[in-house]
Amino acid sequence: MKRRINFLIGFPIVAVLGTMALTALFWTPYSPTGTRIRSRLQPPNSTHWLGTDEFGRDVLSRIMDGALVSFRVALATMIFAIIVGSLIGVVTGYLRGWTDRLIMMVNDAMLAFPGILLALAIMVILGPGQSSIVIALGLAYTPSVVRIVRGQVLSLREKEYIEASRMIGNSEVYTMLRHILPNCIAPIAVLGTSMFGWAVLSESALSFLGLGVPPPAATWGNMLASARG
Amino acid sequence: MSEPATLLPLLDVFKMRIETGTGMPIIHDLSFTVARGEFLAIVGESGSGKTMAARALLRLLPSGLVQTGGAVHLEGKDITTLPEEQFQPLRGLGMGMVFQEPMVSLNPAMTVGAQMAEGLALHLKLPSAEIRARSIAMLERVGIGDATRCLGAYPHEFSGGMRQRIMLASVMLLKPKLLIADEPTTALDTLTQAEVLDLMVELARDNGTAIMLITHNLGLVARYTQRALVLEKGHLVESGTTRALLNAPREDYTKALIAALPRRAQTPPAQRTGEAVVSVRNLSVTHAGALSLFRRRVPKKAVDDVSLEIYPREVVAVVGGSGSGKTTLGRALLRLIPASSGEVHFDGQDILKAPRAAQRAFTLAAQLVFHDPYSSLDPRMSVGAIITEPLRHVPGLAASGHARIVDAVLDDVGLSGFLSGFGQRLPHQLSGGQRQRVAIARALVRRPRFIVADEPVSALDMTIQAQILALFRALQAEYGFACLFISHDLAAIEQIADRVVVMRDGRIIEEAARDDLFDNPREDYTRALLAAAPRIDWQPALTKRAAP
Repeated sequence: MKRRINFLIGFPIVAVLGTMALTALFWTPYSPTGTRIRSRLQPPNSTHWLGTDEFGRDVLSRIMDGALVSFRVALATMIFAIIVGSLIGVVTGYLRGWTDRLIMMVNDAMLAFPGILLALAIMVILGPGQSSIVIALGLAYTPSVVRIVRGQVLSLREKEYIEASRMIGNSEVYTMLRHILPNCIAPIAVLGTSMFGWAVLSESALSFLGLGVPPPAATWGNMLASARG
Repeated sequence: MSEPATLLPLLDVFKMRIETGTGMPIIHDLSFTVARGEFLAIVGESGSGKTMAARALLRLLPSGLVQTGGAVHLEGKDITTLPEEQFQPLRGLGMGMVFQEPMVSLNPAMTVGAQMAEGLALHLKLPSAEIRARSIAMLERVGIGDATRCLGAYPHEFSGGMRQRIMLASVMLLKPKLLIADEPTTALDTLTQAEVLDLMVELARDNGTAIMLITHNLGLVARYTQRALVLEKGHLVESGTTRALLNAPREDYTKALIAALPRRAQTPPAQRTGEAVVSVRNLSVTHAGALSLFRRRVPKKAVDDVSLEIYPREVVAVVGGSGSGKTTLGRALLRLIPASSGEVHFDGQDILKAPRAAQRAFTLAAQLVFHDPYSSLDPRMSVGAIITEPLRHVPGLAASGHARIVDAVLDDVGLSGFLSGFGQRLPHQLSGGQRQRVAIARALVRRPRFIVADEPVSALDMTIQAQILALFRALQAEYGFACLFISHDLAAIEQIADRVVVMRDGRIIEEAARDDLFDNPREDYTRALLAAAPRIDWQPALTKRAAP
């Protein structure tokens, strides 16, 4: 029952936001970046349902377009972190030894940093832009993927079917890709979904601080920043 | 309550019924009694509901199962309807339980002393000095050497057998009227099993405790109990005195269980022919203590200077207790674990030092059948894909020929009908016996010349064990592979082996043809192993019941 209630509340929210972002891919009521100085700072009305900002841009259009930007960045971040993290995690967990120790030392050092600080530092180096955000957030999230995948691999490699794969004559790479990686999918999927939410939040935070997607492009973060000022 | 309590049975279960949440019955109207001080066996295979019946007595059913009917009387008192707070004291004082898996039934984060003290403090409200004294006395009673130090130690510091002794000690501290032992020794090797069960019976007799022994092992039933119930799929099939039940079973199911016990093969052991397939010379494996930052564990010789030859079409059994190095030996000669010294010859070459091509040839010609069919199959691969996988490495075999080969081998292991969809199933859709058949098919599909079978039946039910052993023997005759059969189960070895090697502490201490070893063991250790092996024709000298 509890899960059902979670679903009943959560699904409509996700559905509305998702539809908004997808619609923005093809259509928004007004151009999200088109300035119309005449109609600046309007309250919600029949032409601009959510009003306009200080440059006369339609807020609803900007929210929709911002959702698209956020979701695109979050999705790319998630994929980046999962691919890089899983590969490192599987290799380090399967090979053990000094490689493992070295990689995990670096990994844990990165993990000890608050993710947003790490992303901030990387953003400063890379400069603003959507692809820099993906790299910065991706790198910030990779260590936790490495940790989880490695833990899973450590328990999987004791399974007898991994030994069976060696007995069959399969190479280590094949064993990793065919037998270990597919069995890591469950924890990766759980981590990935929660990471998506965090990535949306982090992207907004970066944009709010002026280090994310540069204006005039709309994101939820820089909309909040301009609304405050 | 008009009858004197001593005439009443200790435990009277009347028409107990257990169902799943959806109304599927797990136990159908089970009725039985346990007399004071009586040792009762509940026999059944997995899925028979024997564990659930016992857990229901203690109200420890897992979520999803409910007891929907029946009455349980303990010492004449109906305990079925007792409110929880009045039932609670019965757990421990009235009925104690020893679980199957000593590795997980003790809390790893608590010292042994603290766990033993829990029951005494809760039920008897004793002062801590008294608790400590009683705990030490009981630990000494169960044969723990340094009992005082043991109180402060954590469970991981003890072996499986020791943990089961500690478990037993902490349950018996409360002197329960009834001890429920759920497969208490399945995880232990033969010698330890006999020690723990002998101890359990002694303790029970000293305290007048009745025992309900839940097991699938008829040898243990014969050796330790006076009366037995046979359960099949939640139904009581047959009950009676152990001796009558085993010597003159009335029901077909009981007969099938008894028939499934391994017997010595009628055929004479295979004669050695030709050159040895694999010959092991002075093989040693040292588990060098893993180098960690803070300490280095003392190196331990798991296999110590072992020499062994295995001839074509021959089954050589390696027997020994846990820690004897038998599993390590099998893994090392397949190069799954590095050997520290020695040679393994195959086709005239020492494959431990041979060039890669020769090692590859050995890998393709040798296979391993695993102990646990639940962990040896990749849960995400279909049966067909699992058995097809080894064929990737057969040179010059087109993928179009795979299906036919896989179909043939599935047929051989008794899983025919691959083309009609069996191959599409995933391992979790199969029973334990079917999984082990799939694992055997995977090992056989390349027609290897040499197979190491590492306890291939010990995780299976008795009737399934018999089937798999018979199958293995038949396949061995048909495929003609040489086999190293690793087991602690002497009965299985007696059925399948041509020659037996006894290992202890990493060394081979006795090697003989099957009949010689079983009829005239030379070493004391071998004799002890044979004596500890549970057999159905056991003379019940140990279990004479004290007259009530």
